Amino acid sequence: MDYNLKSIATCVATVAIMAAGAASAESVINIAGWGAQSGPLRSFGVNSNAVIQAAVKRVNEEGGIRLADGTMATLAYEYHDSACNAEQAIAVARRVASSDVLVGIGPTCSGAAAAMFGVFQKQVDDASDTGLQLPILTDTAVRNGLAKISQWTFRNTPNEPAMYDNLWEWIATNQPDLKTIYGGTETDQGHSNGTYSKVIVQAAIRHGFTWAPGDLEGLTGDIASGFEAVLDSSANWLQADTNFAVQARAFRKSGADVLIVSSHPFTTCGMLKEMSRQRIEPGLIVGLTSSSSAEVMKGCPDEAEGMIIPTSFAPITDAAAEVAALANENGGDADLHSAAAWENVMIIKQVIEAVGITGDASMVAQERRAIRDGLEALTETEGLLGTITRNQAEGEALKPYVFVQAQAGGWVVVHDPR
Amino acid sequence: MLYFLGIFQTIGVHTLLGLSAYVLLLTGQLSLGQVGFFAIGAYVSGILTVLFSWHIFAALAVGALVAGFFAFLIGFPALRVKGLMLVVATIAFSEIVRLFFFNLSWRVEVNGFDVGPDSTQGFREIRYFAANGWEQTHVVALIWSFVILVMFLLWWLDRVRAGAVLRAVGEDDLAAQSSGVNLTMVKVAAMTAGGVIAGIGGGLFAHSTTYVDHHTFTILLATFAVSYPILGGHKNVFGTLLAVIFIQGFVIEGLRFMGDYRNIVFGLLIILAMNLRPQGLVDGHFISDIKKKLGGKPKKDSADA
Amino acid sequence: MNIDHIDVIQALIDGILYGSTYALLGLGFTLIFGAMHKLNIAYAASSIAGAYVGLASISVMAIPPILVFFIGPLSAGAIGLVIYFACFRYMPTGNQLAPLMASIGALFFVDEIIIHETSGSPLSFPALLPDSYFFLGQFGIRGDLVMVMFFSFVLMGIVMFLLYRTKLGLATRATSQQSVAALLCGIPTHRTNATTFVLAGILGGFAGCLIAAAVGVLSPLITLPLTIKGLIVTVIGGLGSIRGAIIAGFLIGSFENIFLLVRGVNERDIYVFLLLFVFLVFRPNGLFGTAIDRD
Repeated sequence: MDYNLKSIATCVATVAIMAAGAASAESVINIAGWGAQSGPLRSFGVNSNAVIQAAVKRVNEEGGIRLADGTMATLAYEYHDSACNAEQAIAVARRVASSDVLVGIGPTCSGAAAAMFGVFQKQVDDASDTGLQLPILTDTAVRNGLAKISQWTFRNTPNEPAMYDNLWEWIATNQPDLKTIYGGTETDQGHSNGTYSKVIVQAAIRHGFTWAPGDLEGLTGDIASGFEAVLDSSANWLQADTNFAVQARAFRKSGADVLIVSSHPFTTCGMLKEMSRQRIEPGLIVGLTSSSSAEVMKGCPDEAEGMIIPTSFAPITDAAAEVAALANENGGDADLHSAAAWENVMIIKQVIEAVGITGDASMVAQERRAIRDGLEALTETEGLLGTITRNQAEGEALKPYVFVQAQAGGWVVVHDPR
Repeated sequence: MLYFLGIFQTIGVHTLLGLSAYVLLLTGQLSLGQVGFFAIGAYVSGILTVLFSWHIFAALAVGALVAGFFAFLIGFPALRVKGLMLVVATIAFSEIVRLFFFNLSWRVEVNGFDVGPDSTQGFREIRYFAANGWEQTHVVALIWSFVILVMFLLWWLDRVRAGAVLRAVGEDDLAAQSSGVNLTMVKVAAMTAGGVIAGIGGGLFAHSTTYVDHHTFTILLATFAVSYPILGGHKNVFGTLLAVIFIQGFVIEGLRFMGDYRNIVFGLLIILAMNLRPQGLVDGHFISDIKKKLGGKPKKDSADA
Repeated sequence: MNIDHIDVIQALIDGILYGSTYALLGLGFTLIFGAMHKLNIAYAASSIAGAYVGLASISVMAIPPILVFFIGPLSAGAIGLVIYFACFRYMPTGNQLAPLMASIGALFFVDEIIIHETSGSPLSFPALLPDSYFFLGQFGIRGDLVMVMFFSFVLMGIVMFLLYRTKLGLATRATSQQSVAALLCGIPTHRTNATTFVLAGILGGFAGCLIAAAVGVLSPLITLPLTIKGLIVTVIGGLGSIRGAIIAGFLIGSFENIFLLVRGVNERDIYVFLLLFVFLVFRPNGLFGTAIDRD
């Protein structure tokens, strides 16, 4: 463990230099990002890092962040790899909390987020709770209901109930000949599974679609109603599955007009390819919001043709197109997950300027608290696609969204409800 | 400081996991099933503190006993096979355990909130430590008292007849059997002890990460569990600790400055280490070398702390 | 959803056909284990890595996609050789654990290289026979998988020929049965082992390409599940048994598909693992394995 002693020494030295720097010339506001840069979900971290890097550069180009005394501070950030692993995400959170970082963006994976948020203080001012006290504004982890685990954690992730409700309403209006639905999900993936069985199917029922194999017990159209019956009746797979023959046959047998493929890019492509082999041609395919990314276009551009997905990001505004270009320059892609990181950096700048921060390293605890309160006080923020309203009882965002369709190897916006 | 206390927790928990595989390696059994017992300990003790508001000590004890009980049961069929067959059999066991928890949904309302294992959505908010005002130092102290206790017992075991019996079975079980050793008893006892140790480790893991789901307990963690004693060397109980410090402290946390390349280096370092020290980092020579250097006084801790 | 006998037979057909990919993997595992009595955990990962190299070369160079099925196996053979030297060649004989651990390191290394180069993103893989789906009565059959099945029998034949009809095979079997005695008889055991690794690697690379072509998408997500499947097939088939590995591949493929149909995906794998236990208890030497007492 010699190494750790050394790193303490380095850390102390760095802090000392930074403190000296802050006193003499220019102040620095530190933020930190972390996510999966290794492991099969590496693209999350790569994209997120690319976008944060671009956003921080933009903030500094525009003069930096205004402190309480009116001077401008530079924004500095560091990105850590938490490998989509609970222990590593917690380790990074603790490491960041021990430094003079004022606010964190991360982690990218929902499982790691569920664990990490648990080591934070559940309710502020609860002196009996020894959890970490550092504001977190998450960009990628999208699994349902995570932010309410702690009052220190906030998310800027898509609101799936609203998106899918509107999607089915739009389909019902524009393609009234489509009546019945059927589908499947990767059951071992919390986000795909939860969104499919509790949100997407219910939203369809709400707008008059019927479950192709016959009515299900308890399935009413309310969120999560009859979700167990939905899962039992669906043709599901696991997130690393490679053979989809049985599931695709069940899709065919259901005879449904609309098929739902609620999974991440790898199995979405596996399933779509099997459907294409078996020449299953439904009226429409609806996908999971996480699959509206560049990855599906790398995995199965032809088979995805026609699939419709609601998403909180598409390069349709000038700002969004610019972020997409900047992300590419940094070796990543801006998608519904990573583009949120840009908004997060801008939200952090806005909040820091609103609450007034000294940037003094000795006041880190108070300033973190002030930023947390500032984040909680937000009712609206400006996003790349327009105004984002916030549901602060849960720490969640209600982001504007569009419907995209796979057409000729790319995602094309087919409806813009904004 | 928080950060280092956190790393100590991780190292402690993984040491227990590694020691549970170490016990089995003594008897020559290579098990990739330790993660199954680890998962049982994690879920059982988590359920007891969260759903039934038990005290952490009682929950850990029951978690360890349940894990030990399953290890005892598995011990008998596992006796029938060796080598690669045992590796695959234990993979199958731990995967069945994992899939059981993947399918387990047990939601209960406690203080107005729905809590408990929620199959794929995982088992959130196992927040016993933070919710009961435990400082990080307390958690570290708790975890390390178990680590020290288990390490002491295993170290002591190596110095009495029982340890010699275990190693005899590990070196050559036919020879041991001919010398009157009851193979069944020894192997099942080792399996049970390994299960109890992994069960404690699992309980501590669940409470220090506050969240477990079935993805936590895959074959990947099982490989880590056997990696520690193999990498560290199963001649000596400190080898496992040293290997955990090497992997968790140095390769995973220490190499963070390498950014993107950290995980690539991870595999290379393991290959390199095994080629340089095929008997493990701490083999027989290592101990005597250290003894020589320190003038006959073995002080392992100075190298570790 | 109602399940009739048509569904069951169809699932059986799908499963047996898809099982041929497992059979190929099991063949490679069993070859290495049979030759050295040592487990190479990195085997499935290096097979998939071979498929990646093949895919990368056809996307970088303007060569016909079919060449992926040649470049893939050759690169996997090369990776196999590297793994042999890195993890097995210089390890003390009799030490089972050190090479196993080193091959775990190799698994992490190979996996992480793939992830690093692709960001873990799924990549489209060319089909072996595009549009080859046909009907036999009311049963749908994937032509490309029939082809894979054909290949698995051909490869089984080739491997058996190499092992039992050539000098190389004689050397391999001699090394496998008594490596010291083989060395004393003038058989270059290290070179024999290296050749076995290259052969198994080529076989694995071919399997990797066929699996990728069968799925149509390649992702680092599949290396661990395939490792487990390959091990199960090897054990059920009987350690070191060539035809056992092939038959066990079909058995596992059909078994898991039937349980997927009847019990759903959440329970499917539990039954596969239980099947393994049944074998370990009632037939510990697998379908065709000879009794192995010391290993």
